[in-house]
Amino acid sequence: MSMPCNAADAAPANVRRIIHVDMDAFYASVEQRDDPKLRGKPVAVGGSKLRGVVAAASYEARRFGVRSAMPSVTAKRNCPELIFVKPRFEVYKSVSQQIREIFSEYTDAVEPLSLDEAYLDVTDLRGAASATEIAEAIRARIKAETGLTASAGVSYNKFLAKIASDYRKPDGLFVITPRMGPGFVEALPVGKFHGVGPATAQRMHKLGLETGLDIKAQSLEFLQQHFGKAGGYYYSISRGVCERQVKPHRIRKSLGAERTFFTDLTTFASAHEALQEVIDKVWRHCEQASIRGRTLTLKVKYADFQQITRSRTGDAPISTRSELERLSCALLTPIFPLAKAIRLLGVSLSSFGLSADGDGEAEQLALLL
Amino acid sequence: MRLVIERGELLRALGHVTSVVERRTTIPILSNVLLRAGNGKLSLKATDLEREVIEDVAATVSAPGAVTVPAHMLHDIVRKLPDGAEIEIKRDPEKERLTITAGQSRFALQTLGPEDFPDIAAGDLAHSFELGAADLKRLIEKTRFAISTEETRYYLNGIFLHVAEKGSSRTLRAVATDGHRLAQVELSRPEGAEGMPGVIIPRKTVHELHRLIEASSAPVKIGVSPSKVRFEIGTVTLTSKLIDGTFPDYGRVIPQGNDKELTVSNADFIGAVDRVSTIASERGRAVKLNITGDKLVLSVNNPEGGSATEEIGVGYTASPLEIGFNARYLLDIASQLEGDEAHFLLADPGSPTMIRDGGDDTALYVLMPMRV
Repeated sequence: MSMPCNAADAAPANVRRIIHVDMDAFYASVEQRDDPKLRGKPVAVGGSKLRGVVAAASYEARRFGVRSAMPSVTAKRNCPELIFVKPRFEVYKSVSQQIREIFSEYTDAVEPLSLDEAYLDVTDLRGAASATEIAEAIRARIKAETGLTASAGVSYNKFLAKIASDYRKPDGLFVITPRMGPGFVEALPVGKFHGVGPATAQRMHKLGLETGLDIKAQSLEFLQQHFGKAGGYYYSISRGVCERQVKPHRIRKSLGAERTFFTDLTTFASAHEALQEVIDKVWRHCEQASIRGRTLTLKVKYADFQQITRSRTGDAPISTRSELERLSCALLTPIFPLAKAIRLLGVSLSSFGLSADGDGEAEQLALLL
Repeated sequence: MRLVIERGELLRALGHVTSVVERRTTIPILSNVLLRAGNGKLSLKATDLEREVIEDVAATVSAPGAVTVPAHMLHDIVRKLPDGAEIEIKRDPEKERLTITAGQSRFALQTLGPEDFPDIAAGDLAHSFELGAADLKRLIEKTRFAISTEETRYYLNGIFLHVAEKGSSRTLRAVATDGHRLAQVELSRPEGAEGMPGVIIPRKTVHELHRLIEASSAPVKIGVSPSKVRFEIGTVTLTSKLIDGTFPDYGRVIPQGNDKELTVSNADFIGAVDRVSTIASERGRAVKLNITGDKLVLSVNNPEGGSATEEIGVGYTASPLEIGFNARYLLDIASQLEGDEAHFLLADPGSPTMIRDGGDDTALYVLMPMRV
């Protein structure tokens, strides 16, 4: 029996085949697709206003050092030619829906991470020759059906699949086989590890840990001592081991919206008014997702960036917008009079109930009093 | 002020009045009970500014007068004195202390002046009528479980007592709802209640009243004005402010056209709901009712806890229906029913369900389903 042994697919029966698909500069690419004038130009999706942040940057903009989550002011400084485009989430959502439908033709085990990326477990190939073949087919179909490019990573676990999708970005595909895995991780700079942000990377550098190999050389105890629970995770992934499953039904735990204001708010009336828009947004999400939460959390960020939250949990889910508003105001009222102005207000809902079926949220309906 | 009083009498009265006294209060005198001696009796009064309880007890008064002392402390002292003790209560005007003497025990309590003790000026209670203690108890017991605790909908934080029409007869009706379920019970309108305003009696007053009438069988005299209500139960008087708000037009949520009738043994139903809901998580207490032909299947599925089903025989002839309810709400209502049978009048899984008591047609309950 001869088997191809050039990819993750050559693995023994108990080895999984995972694909990570990641759209390239998703929001910005959608904007460039829909508006020819933006093509080939540095584009940032997000608010251009004083306090806006970049939600996504086109590859042209990235060359100038524009990154997502960067304050718009900084982005404009880095790239004076930068064109700001207002986000159109409805469009991104519908494109996201299109790509999820493509995924679903290849496997049921799809775990969306956001609108533009997902893990797929394609271990049972469904007649395809390899996971790589499936990944290529998906990329081709995304391009044909949406006009957008996606990068894909193929490997035997989620961690490596994600690393791989980033490796030949944009419009690329990369495969990390079980044989390549350990060596690949050893050479990887710690900052590239999924789950290692700038702060953790900094701490690792201080400990002299620069690459996967450096982490691998440490004992489990050492890693746990310095990084707590995450230490165990670093210990595993530095060996190319990641047992996390692709979870098709990620249970949503909370839902919310927030807004940073152009000018700081100082009065109850202005905060109350500003809250309406946030409440509208949260309620719209509730309606769209048909979920209702019992716990309401109000987040307040002051001008000096100090952040407080106030929350309340009721016996039954919040079932109407007016109830949501009433309860939000009840949380807002006691923080007045203010010691300092408000920069941001956020409202979120959590504690979604469980239904009798257990696969959704049981919603207590309200009498129309 | 000086008097002698029997321990048991005083203890009983203190038990009645001190329960309205808040344990923690920012206004010191609200922790106190007002004692006023004169005319062969001791009058005790306590308040939390929303309601007050006054009780008169026979006493041998040798010098009339009034004083206030910490209510819970006085209650504790009297409780710990031996049964049958004669208690002497005396105010020493110079030291501003109240001394309490019984046998070899002697206590001196700090006092505050009676002139500062707040009074709920009840004003004119234009409408007054009498209810038997058992009737009043029934109005409270069958509705109070549905009182809302949601402070933001303050107008639901009580029982709505009002005069209603039922066919050609006039009734006195009590309604409570928390927005998910509603309980309504009525009795024929007593003499004197005609024209009374609909009033919302606050939850805490409802509970105080229930405590006061629990062991009583005497008729209760009720006086009502648009802002106050007063209950006279023997020697005890409870006066309370009302909730200043408009009770919603609850009639709109009582279904009229529900034609799917389910009849079930109430005891079987309670047992089954209680058993299957063991599996439910603390919060997501949804139980699914699957009704087909003459059987009802109750089921709960909790991904973290497991699943449970139970089947019971029922009377049902309408088309099959699947509907979910909060298990606790079902049990709250079912445990109010007196008859052997519970009658469910259903429409669909998204509309209110009406529950009637096979043994009492003056009570009805409305319950909103859970979407499962």
